[in-house]
Amino acid sequence: MEYLLHILILIGIYIILSESLNLIAGYTGLLSIAHAAFYGVGAYVAALMALNLHTPFLVNIICAVIAAGAFGALVGIPSLRIRDDYFVIATFAFQVITFSVLNNWVSFTGGPMGLPGIPQPVIFGLQISSHVGFLILVGVLCALSLWVTHRVVRSPFGRVLMAIREDEVFAHAMGKNVARYKVMVFVIGAGIAAIAGAMYAYYISFIDPTSFTVTESIFIISIVIIGGAGSLWGPVVGAAVLVTLPEILRFVGMPSSVAANVRQILYGGLLVAFMMWRPQGFMGGYSFEKGGSEK
Amino acid sequence: MISQFAVNAFIASSTYVLLGLGFALVYRAARFFHFAHGAVFASGPYLLLIFVQCAGVSWPASVVLSVACVCVLGCAMEVMAYGPIRRAHSSPIVLALASLGIYVVLQNVISLIFGDDTKSIRTGVVREGINVLGARITPIQITTICVSIVLVIGLALFLRYAKLGRAMRAVANDPELANLSGIDSDRVILWAFAIGSALAGIAGILVALDVDMTPTMGMNALMMGVVAVIIGGVSSIPGIALGALLLGMAQQFGVWWISSQWQDAIAFIILLVFLLFRPQGFMGRKVKKAVV
Repeated sequence: MEYLLHILILIGIYIILSESLNLIAGYTGLLSIAHAAFYGVGAYVAALMALNLHTPFLVNIICAVIAAGAFGALVGIPSLRIRDDYFVIATFAFQVITFSVLNNWVSFTGGPMGLPGIPQPVIFGLQISSHVGFLILVGVLCALSLWVTHRVVRSPFGRVLMAIREDEVFAHAMGKNVARYKVMVFVIGAGIAAIAGAMYAYYISFIDPTSFTVTESIFIISIVIIGGAGSLWGPVVGAAVLVTLPEILRFVGMPSSVAANVRQILYGGLLVAFMMWRPQGFMGGYSFEKGGSEK
Repeated sequence: MISQFAVNAFIASSTYVLLGLGFALVYRAARFFHFAHGAVFASGPYLLLIFVQCAGVSWPASVVLSVACVCVLGCAMEVMAYGPIRRAHSSPIVLALASLGIYVVLQNVISLIFGDDTKSIRTGVVREGINVLGARITPIQITTICVSIVLVIGLALFLRYAKLGRAMRAVANDPELANLSGIDSDRVILWAFAIGSALAGIAGILVALDVDMTPTMGMNALMMGVVAVIIGGVSSIPGIALGALLLGMAQQFGVWWISSQWQDAIAFIILLVFLLFRPQGFMGRKVKKAVV
């Protein structure tokens, strides 16, 4: 039972992460390999505040969102000057630099040793300690992130994002400030990713840089692409499938050292297969070709 | 001190330039970021390990065999994955995503077979190296530098004078026009993969002979090659060589000035500066920019 709840909590965290990347990559068409960096900034800000300042949970999560949002704006800025694969490399650079800081600035982030002993969250005097409690909390935040995505996408703001994805010059010609929209979507996406990061830190109660690597970024991208970029329910399906699938390996009796590799082979292989036969993903949304979205 | 500094920078840049050239060759012909190039690089030394230690083939034969296998690996990616994807959808992002997937698969296949720990193919005792103008340099490092100089010059001559090399430049400039003048662009792209992969495999073997190997060595090394390419400009061989040299020097300077663990961060900060202010590199002319 505990195990099942654990899987559900993880799925929830990955839904928040991939839905926020979906806003950036799926709806605006800006593929980013920096998402684990936003996730990490959220986790570290929340954890450091909880450990050093002993501030309450809600304050920490809000500060994490603000910090990651500011960082998101910084990562979004190169998209104003470069595009497509050059932009992917720029986000890759931010990802590596972030990991480098988390791993090497030992006096501040704990370096490779990580930050142990993050306290349990207390919301309005209610301490959350059980798996059920965490599941409810993650579920609420998950619903919130889906609702925000839904509202953003349906709003005039969201329609401009999709216009930028389909034809940037046209959006500009219609008098839209493309630069501002691009940076804004990064701020929103990074902010939501920070919520997932803070939740992860509180749930596991220990964080270290290895949870926020390039590989993790590729995993989040895989969820979005395989589920269906540019569709609201795509990342939900993607997260459910990609988080659960490797657990089946555990039941087959595969040793955990082998299972870790097989898990990555599985999602890497799925990514290639989807690119070959169904680039718009399982739920069908946007396929990273100009004018390639399904109407 | 200064000479050791220069020698170290030179050794590092020799592998960057080999990776960068292979990557740029593929990028120019097929027009996408071939992330799996990093996995091709890592496969080289692991194949050598199989041939030398498991199959007991002699050293020179093993090196030739592993480079040949790495070539086949690169071509297999093009034939089985990139080719079909390119014909179905032209987007470079789709190809880059597929390439990321292939990278993840290959890297984990290597760690499944060989384990995550460091493997060595060096034989005999570690020698102290020879003294050159007050700097220590090992024979394998001298080999690395010589091999990379020969290959860079060889590739430059090949692209300039050979029929296939000229066809490659033609496809890189305008694939449709190249097709019209009777060049089979698919075949040229396949050759770009073969040559690029061979360069990556050779670089991988040279690095592993110097500092051993791990399954994850590929991505980091590739990104250093990519940084060299972006600093120098994707279409210019002297540019890429100069970019690699500049990167190697900046990193060595960083090691000396700050500390070795910040090497990656330094390389990527340089990359960001170039991407923001001169994305075409200092030798390049045009680049895809955001239109607005």
